Amino acid sequence: MYEKQILICAGTGCISSGSMHVQESLSEELKKHGLQDKVRIILSGCHGFCEKGPIFIVYPEDIFYCEVKVEDVPELVEEHLVKGNVVERLLYKDPVSEKRVFSHKDIPFYSKQKRQILRNCGVIDPENIDEYIIRGGYSGMKKALYMDPLEIINTVKSSGLRGRGGAGFPTGMKWEFGYRSPGDKKYVVCNADEGDPGAFMDRSVLEGDPHAVLEGLIIAGRAIGSDEAYIYVRAEYPLAIRRLRKAIAQAEEYGFLGNNILDSGTNFKINIKEGAGAFVCGEETALLASIEGERGIPRPRPPFPAVKGLWGKPTCINNVETLANVPLILRNGAEWYSAVGTEGSKGTKIFAVTGKVNNTGLCEVPMGISLREIVFDIGGGIRGGKKYKAVQIGGPSGGCIPEELLDLPVDFDSLTAKGAMMGSGGMVVMDEDTCMVDLARYFLSFTQSESCGKCTPCREGTKRMLEILERITQGKGEPDDIERLEKLALSVKDSALCGLGQTAPNPVLTTLRYFRDEYEAHIFDRRCPAGVCKDLLSYYIDPELCIGCRACTKACPAEAISGEKKEPHVIDETKCIRCGACFERCKKGAVKTR
Amino acid sequence: MMKRFIDHCCDKCFHSKENPCKLFIECCLSGPLCHDSDECSAKRKAIIERVAHSPGYLNF
Repeated sequence: MYEKQILICAGTGCISSGSMHVQESLSEELKKHGLQDKVRIILSGCHGFCEKGPIFIVYPEDIFYCEVKVEDVPELVEEHLVKGNVVERLLYKDPVSEKRVFSHKDIPFYSKQKRQILRNCGVIDPENIDEYIIRGGYSGMKKALYMDPLEIINTVKSSGLRGRGGAGFPTGMKWEFGYRSPGDKKYVVCNADEGDPGAFMDRSVLEGDPHAVLEGLIIAGRAIGSDEAYIYVRAEYPLAIRRLRKAIAQAEEYGFLGNNILDSGTNFKINIKEGAGAFVCGEETALLASIEGERGIPRPRPPFPAVKGLWGKPTCINNVETLANVPLILRNGAEWYSAVGTEGSKGTKIFAVTGKVNNTGLCEVPMGISLREIVFDIGGGIRGGKKYKAVQIGGPSGGCIPEELLDLPVDFDSLTAKGAMMGSGGMVVMDEDTCMVDLARYFLSFTQSESCGKCTPCREGTKRMLEILERITQGKGEPDDIERLEKLALSVKDSALCGLGQTAPNPVLTTLRYFRDEYEAHIFDRRCPAGVCKDLLSYYIDPELCIGCRACTKACPAEAISGEKKEPHVIDETKCIRCGACFERCKKGAVKTR
Repeated sequence: MMKRFIDHCCDKCFHSKENPCKLFIECCLSGPLCHDSDECSAKRKAIIERVAHSPGYLNF
């Protein structure tokens, strides 16, 4: 038995912060001190607190070290492992009390979370199937193998599980459609395309607990009568793909995949298909086309995939997080699962919290928690003490939630009622310095470039909307632009062929709903209230602060600044090209924008 | 030596993907189930103790 075990986060976030170098350094230091057989190093999945990575936890005493660098390792080994002294400077420091915190349980980022889907991420070695089994893994599958398919479906229906990929369709209902569709060959598909910018919920589950997804797929297969599954995973997730391949090989070795699983008569095989970089392939019918070797273009529905999907066969497609919920439901029961959450939204949801917040990372919360708790309690509030402005939920397909709705419960129906959507779980927090018009332009430019081009509403409609938004942010907005934008947005939403086009207008519609005054300021006042849109900014020099050092004059490429040495300078707005060079150069803060 | 749960604890164990045992999963944690053996039970406990890094690990 080991005297100590050290978990080093090997999620993609911490790897890019250098956790693998920390692990290498630790291995060398342990050998130097002759501790390699007494201390076990575990490369775990994502702990979630990406802002503070690399994360390094020492057990059994549960000491949480953060922002650990290679040069810290010798001290950690010498002081903590050899002498038994905690290295306090590497502990998390509470920003309010300024006290050092020893255990992750006492860190506010974690204390309001309910980590069910992420129960193994950051706790086990994701490449060790035995650890998954020890913590209850595959017991849900075992139960399902000896249940009637309809019994499995009814259990999932009773749990209230809704799809976590964005649409929130009841999972049990989808499986029942697949079960009742006639056919001797059916498929289950895991949608691991995760294309929303900034979203990494699925990536973390795949990297940190891949067996949970496999177990969910096997149960889904048993429920609908399928013997084969595909995991469609984006090629930009090489670590997730590697861990999945290893997990599948282990499950096959253990007899959890293949023929006659655990002597039940059930056969099941899982294939991996890597995506090729198209956002639209997160849409289920485009995804199926891609698996079939066709170009990823959506197909009209009906028929829905549960009736006619992959190669024309009944196919149930579920998101990674949805599938990771399933083993827990089978293991613990529908009543256990539905005890968490709200009336219409059961269980927990994983969010990737990014943007202008102190604690960026991954969190799992019960459905129904307020946005305020996520942003301020878990997220630690707005960076730099700035004012909260909005949060964009659901990525390019979602909408923004302003300050007056901060106490909105985060669940499917409450968000939809306010024009937003749960989406897959991407949550971008914005502060007073964010221009909401520019934000809408950014998200629309993404969806416009990702449009497959098949249907006119999306192909042409998003292009026209983007042209209007670009005009507005460049100071060329026209009085009728807001009305044009609204009409186009509603038209595209109603008539686009697939979810990409139907939801692309959401950022525009919600920013118009809650931040119309910003659009009006851009168009009628030729002003960007947040000071972001360069073409709407004008620079001036505050004569009270200017000391006439001429630094701005030397930086200006347009010779737009004049003035005598040691006298306040002036910017000629007719010559100024708004490059911002003077603003960057001025050390006295005398150059300002309006 | 039983390093992993898939390794046989003794000659009495037969589980493999070609010849599966229905009770394999239960047996990993509470076995052996098809015969009595303190030695075989200890082998399984050793696998668990090697990886269980904290009281919370087994309390999920």
